[in-house]
Amino acid sequence: MSDAHAKAPTDRRDFLLKLGAGAGVAALTAQTAASLRSLVPNVSYDSPTTVKLGPPADFPDGIKFLPDDRLFVFRQGNTFHAVSAVCTHLGCTVRAEALANVQTVESGGGELRLTHRFLCPCHGSEYKGDGSNVSGPAPKPLAWYRLSVAPDDGQLVVDLADEVGTDFRLTLG
Amino acid sequence: MRLPLTSRKAEPDAPGVRPEMFWSLAPRSDREAGDAIASNFLFHAFPAKVSKAAMAWNYSFWLGTISAALFFLLILSGLPLLFLYVPSVERAYQSVKDIEFVITFGSWIRAVHRISAHGMVIAVFLHLVRVFLTGAYKNGVGRGQHREWNWVLGVVMLLLTLFLSFTGYLLPWDQLAFWAVTVGTNIASAIPGIGPTVRELLIGGRTIEQATLIRFYVLHVVILPLGLGVLFAYHMWRVRKDGGLARAEHETLAERPIETPVVKTKTYTLLGVARGQAPVIRAQSLEAPDTTVNAVPDLVRRAAIATLATFAIVSILSVFIASPLEEPANPLVTPNPAKAPWYFLWLQEIVTDTTIRIGSFTLNGAFVGGVLLPGLLVGLLTFWPWLDKSSHLATGVWLPRVRARQNTVFLLVVLGILILTFIGMAMRGPYWYFYWPWEAWPDIPARI
Repeated sequence: MSDAHAKAPTDRRDFLLKLGAGAGVAALTAQTAASLRSLVPNVSYDSPTTVKLGPPADFPDGIKFLPDDRLFVFRQGNTFHAVSAVCTHLGCTVRAEALANVQTVESGGGELRLTHRFLCPCHGSEYKGDGSNVSGPAPKPLAWYRLSVAPDDGQLVVDLADEVGTDFRLTLG
Repeated sequence: MRLPLTSRKAEPDAPGVRPEMFWSLAPRSDREAGDAIASNFLFHAFPAKVSKAAMAWNYSFWLGTISAALFFLLILSGLPLLFLYVPSVERAYQSVKDIEFVITFGSWIRAVHRISAHGMVIAVFLHLVRVFLTGAYKNGVGRGQHREWNWVLGVVMLLLTLFLSFTGYLLPWDQLAFWAVTVGTNIASAIPGIGPTVRELLIGGRTIEQATLIRFYVLHVVILPLGLGVLFAYHMWRVRKDGGLARAEHETLAERPIETPVVKTKTYTLLGVARGQAPVIRAQSLEAPDTTVNAVPDLVRRAAIATLATFAIVSILSVFIASPLEEPANPLVTPNPAKAPWYFLWLQEIVTDTTIRIGSFTLNGAFVGGVLLPGLLVGLLTFWPWLDKSSHLATGVWLPRVRARQNTVFLLVVLGILILTFIGMAMRGPYWYFYWPWEAWPDIPARI
């Protein structure tokens, strides 16, 4: 800018130019902000976290894999518990592999028969039958979720938003 | 009256070299008005004259030109695919299947697109390796050079190329696509603090669904190619403004001013009676005539050869190499083993091996191998020109002794990446267990 401008910084021409340019920048900023904000979802169409799994009689003694919910449901007599099939490393679905020798371990909620182990196909994490991580990159055990019985039709219900400890058991009378 | 957007130094660093990204929108003279056109990158893809050594096939291997040719081919083969592909989770897989098996020449067009994409990842990577090994990001003796900026642009363009590939192989919505996005976006969510938000923005929700597909589709066909195109144009413009390829710099360094022979001039003195020395003009020429040639036709011809050869090779390969299509995406079953495409296998290998346990404290490999290590690597790569303090005499020279140590370290890192890629490709079987390439994988039931 020339010296003349320094002396008279707001002549009309200069002011109008700055006003116009400023308005342009403001408009562009608002447009950009609005466009980016529109990409942040306001409504999630995720499936509900509380899912009915079926009547308890449908679950055999041992393990049942429910692919839709990425969940393993275990039954020992009339006690039930549910372990997530989502690998804690990067979210692939782990697979259950039957063990040759069944192990029995003590946990807070009572004796636990370990008939399977879990293996992840993506990066080779390995979990014991109670979900605890044994080897591979998995940083923590598979999640356990709360099971309950639906009051209306007696189906088993899992709450995928409610993680519980390994001492959790659902015992039916 | 100047627009506030344009800032300008009073004096350019050197005539014809503009240190700014943009040219003046408010020229103060006819000369500046002309410069606004002449310094415009659109008109300066080629220089008038070009150094012969810089054009040598065995200096640059023309990897940049080949990358650009492949990018052009990708746009060309992408156009018909735009008409045929449907970005919807219900119909994407079927439309790709139609392209592959129903549409006339569909499988060839898809193969051209796919092979060009693979080729571009290779060519861009080799281009970066070449530029590093020749120290071509270094400035020579020219004034106003900023080759290091072009190196940074190049790194960004490599990342864009990889992201283009990543968004591209999602589109068929097959098993590879679904699980690659699952793993890729979970890596993003391993960033501390903002991770889950980044993942939610990337996939447009909490589960990989229609919102994810349309986001990756728009990134793949509009935003990323546009960004890459703009950066490519600026990259080329900078090459010219920095004085051409760095090899030409070396030539200038080796150049000696040539005394032009004194021309005997016939001099007459007044009436022919005066005696003494007649004035002679001593001149020097810096532009040795045998080191440069005119860009037209020499440079144009070689660029055309590199481009057409690329087109020919890709077109022929595409006849013989079919593009794979896995089973339709199934969120219920993770394939075993679930492998990323080959150029991401080294990353998959790193995230497998980098979960760190110190006592009861665990650092997820997703963060260490997926965010921290690649981030450090890219950061180091980006700022390397400022860390490289070697002499400017090493500019544009293959493997000079003064850069031996850094070139060795660089090559070791490259070798490491290649070895990890090979391990991922040939030595990982079901459950990502280690198998020798000649070992057979055990039979594992597809489902439980």
